[in-house]
Amino acid sequence: MTELKKTNRRGVLKGLAAGTAAAATLPLWARYTHAQSAAPIKIGFQQHRTGIGAAYGRWYGRTTEAAAAFINAQGGINGRPIEIVAEDDGTDPKRGAEVVEKFATQHNCDIAFGTLFSHVVIGSAPRAGELKIPYFVVSEGHHVASGGLNRYTLQPGITDVKSQVQAMAPYVNANLGKKVTMIYPDFAFGHDHRDFFTAAMAAQGGEVISQIAIPPSETSFTKYFPKIPRETEVLYHVMVGPAVLTFVKELGEFFGPSAPAIFGFIDSLEAVDIASPGLEFLDGTYFWEGNPRYAQADQSDADKLFREKVGVDANGASVSDPADVSTYAHMFGCWETLHVVKAGMEAAGYAGPGDRAALIEAVEAMTDMPEGIAHPQGAKIFIGKTHQVFGHQYISQVQGGKLARVHSTSIEDTFYPDEVDYTTQPL
Amino acid sequence: MVAPQRSWAHASEQGFVLLLPTDLYTGAGVVAVLLTVLALAVAPRRSALRINATVPILEAKARRAQLSISICSCVIFWLLIWVGLAGPRDPLANPLVLMVWTVFWMGLLTVQGLAGDIWTYLNPFTAPAWLARSGLGWRAPLCLPAWLGYWPALAGFLLFGFVLLADPAPADPDHLARLAAGYWVFHFALALLYGPAWLRRGEPFAVLFRAIGWVGICARSGGRLRLGPPGWQIATGAAPPLSLAVFCVMVLATGSFDGLNETFWWLGVLGMNPLEFSGRSAVVWQNTAGLLLANLFLVLVFALTLTLGQRLAGQGPHLTRGMRLFAPTLLPIALGYHVAHYLPSFLVDSQYALVALSDPLMSGADWLRLGEFFVSTGFFNSKDSVRVIYLSQAGAVVAGHVLAVLTAHAVALKAYGSHREAVLSQVPLAVFMLGYTWFGLWLLASPRF
Repeated sequence: MTELKKTNRRGVLKGLAAGTAAAATLPLWARYTHAQSAAPIKIGFQQHRTGIGAAYGRWYGRTTEAAAAFINAQGGINGRPIEIVAEDDGTDPKRGAEVVEKFATQHNCDIAFGTLFSHVVIGSAPRAGELKIPYFVVSEGHHVASGGLNRYTLQPGITDVKSQVQAMAPYVNANLGKKVTMIYPDFAFGHDHRDFFTAAMAAQGGEVISQIAIPPSETSFTKYFPKIPRETEVLYHVMVGPAVLTFVKELGEFFGPSAPAIFGFIDSLEAVDIASPGLEFLDGTYFWEGNPRYAQADQSDADKLFREKVGVDANGASVSDPADVSTYAHMFGCWETLHVVKAGMEAAGYAGPGDRAALIEAVEAMTDMPEGIAHPQGAKIFIGKTHQVFGHQYISQVQGGKLARVHSTSIEDTFYPDEVDYTTQPL
Repeated sequence: MVAPQRSWAHASEQGFVLLLPTDLYTGAGVVAVLLTVLALAVAPRRSALRINATVPILEAKARRAQLSISICSCVIFWLLIWVGLAGPRDPLANPLVLMVWTVFWMGLLTVQGLAGDIWTYLNPFTAPAWLARSGLGWRAPLCLPAWLGYWPALAGFLLFGFVLLADPAPADPDHLARLAAGYWVFHFALALLYGPAWLRRGEPFAVLFRAIGWVGICARSGGRLRLGPPGWQIATGAAPPLSLAVFCVMVLATGSFDGLNETFWWLGVLGMNPLEFSGRSAVVWQNTAGLLLANLFLVLVFALTLTLGQRLAGQGPHLTRGMRLFAPTLLPIALGYHVAHYLPSFLVDSQYALVALSDPLMSGADWLRLGEFFVSTGFFNSKDSVRVIYLSQAGAVVAGHVLAVLTAHAVALKAYGSHREAVLSQVPLAVFMLGYTWFGLWLLASPRF
């Protein structure tokens, strides 16, 4: 069985048949037959199959299929199996909106789900709101909690960049240094880091002493490094794109052994083997990780099971190919979001599209999400007003070509004042 | 991808390529082509001609096989259309998408270019058209005017280029199914209207595959299947009509723009941020304009090159004749770049195609006994494997140019009275090919989104 075969229509039908045949030994499956309707709950998966998000899309797909199979094996949602209807959005905001519309009007999906790239979320959310189809994004963007979207758009399975970035400041300030120079790509993604971290460091009593913006299409960085002030104690970097490896190599050549403390976001090297030749310079440096790629000494049972179900080994790579490194820091969001959808639908007694509003209200009513197989990344707190979940963030250090977790933030570290109350908007 | 566009928003294959000494590799590639040019300039005329000798290998009696395969091909085509409409929405799970972009466009065109004309057998129009004629006694009411030449196919090829490079969702199964079905119905209707001539001169894929097949090592000649070195058909064959010659130039131009439109450079021209690229729907008119300009530009540059060559030689074929003689010599370059450009995508998408092949009826079968099969892109994650992939791509580009230089030289020896004139006429073309080698290798090495 492949990642493509598990929970599409065919897979669900096969699963149902197997479930019926095995009802005597697998009572969970038998629950389908007692449900009022055994018709699958159709989840429209807006997948970055092509375009600039394709590498993430592949792992989001694999995690989504694994989560759906896992939920189905446990009896589905309200006794009904999940069917994933994957549509490629081309990592394209305009197509994203079209895909959401297809889910609502052509495929009769119950919800839309799974978008990562911010510009696709921003392009698609208005259509989801117009069509009144719940749109569960897995994007990290601050656009949900900032109030820029609508009541039908929720982010209950992954934290947003604002909370991630600000939660780094206490550790950086206390352990790495108080004078920070930031190097970031000169567009919205980098600007978010610049603005959120600069404010968060000031709140901690530290200071961002220099902000070095790099043009997005830059492929050589040597000329920017002399701009790093001598008194810099911490270098904060969030470069993305194909030139990241060149950035690291040139950074190593520039500093040699006398580098300041270096802190980065794993987004730069997501799905890249940290032990790759040329990345030796990273040894001893620190990274934010949404979810530790390498299984840690105190690995939870939930993380172990999550890896097993998705087919990822202890190094965060595919069990079928150790070189195929996953997007481990982000993809848990698909797993957790589907579990939130399950919990929400069960709380709402969801029976069909007529209950979509009830589903939104049920999710908005959620607060604590305890760590466990539904939330293998860790415990979380959902804020119904802002439609955004908050959770632990992890700081890891590169040690011998692997990432070892050195700090877990509290959930409170990630909080910021509510910027919107979606619950006041009509459903 | 699935084709036509594979992209990564993070450091991976292209990140490692940027770490490779690509300037060195590019220089070596250009020098290899230059050495070929110089060697040919001093090589005796006879040896340059003898290189394209062929041997007969089989009697070519294949009409029945051709029709049988074409019928199967047509049935499979329409089954795939149905799968496109009714099958999975995921383009990497839908057999139609995988067959069209991975197997047909990436794979089959390459095999055609390496082996020779296999498309004659697989063409899904041949048998239905034959059945209409021989079975139903259909007689085409119209005659395709000779003056139209291959221009209809050329227009059709540009339309295909539009779908490849500017259509917002060429891999959407539903959209692709409608396009492919519409394509077949349109061209079959014209085949009924104009007879077999339309399938020879009007249907773009027949023309494209025939042209690329000239690079291949096998061809029917004099009732026999003959085997020769790559490019022998171009070196020894008759000059095609002007419209077909221009078609050959446009195959290269379209393929080149296929590479160019993915580069940071192109997005820079458009004033877009490659790290936040808004997808294909944001570049529809830009890529359409780019495609047309690239084609126009290459035809003009090639014409200029030929004119300069003629001036240097002092005499020889005029421009139209020169275009007809030399345009097919660009086909090996087009093939080399096609292989290079699509190799990484093919390595990934062929895995998806394998999965689809293992369960073509979507019944949950596993005919190929793949078991638990996860598609992997691990080979993009290490410098060593990326180097192997990059050098394979660069090798294909350089090989294509070397072959182009060889065939152009052979054609020039036939076209010009003396060896000296032939060599002089080739100087501008050699410069063109050296420049194009550099361009092709630059495309492979430059950052892409």
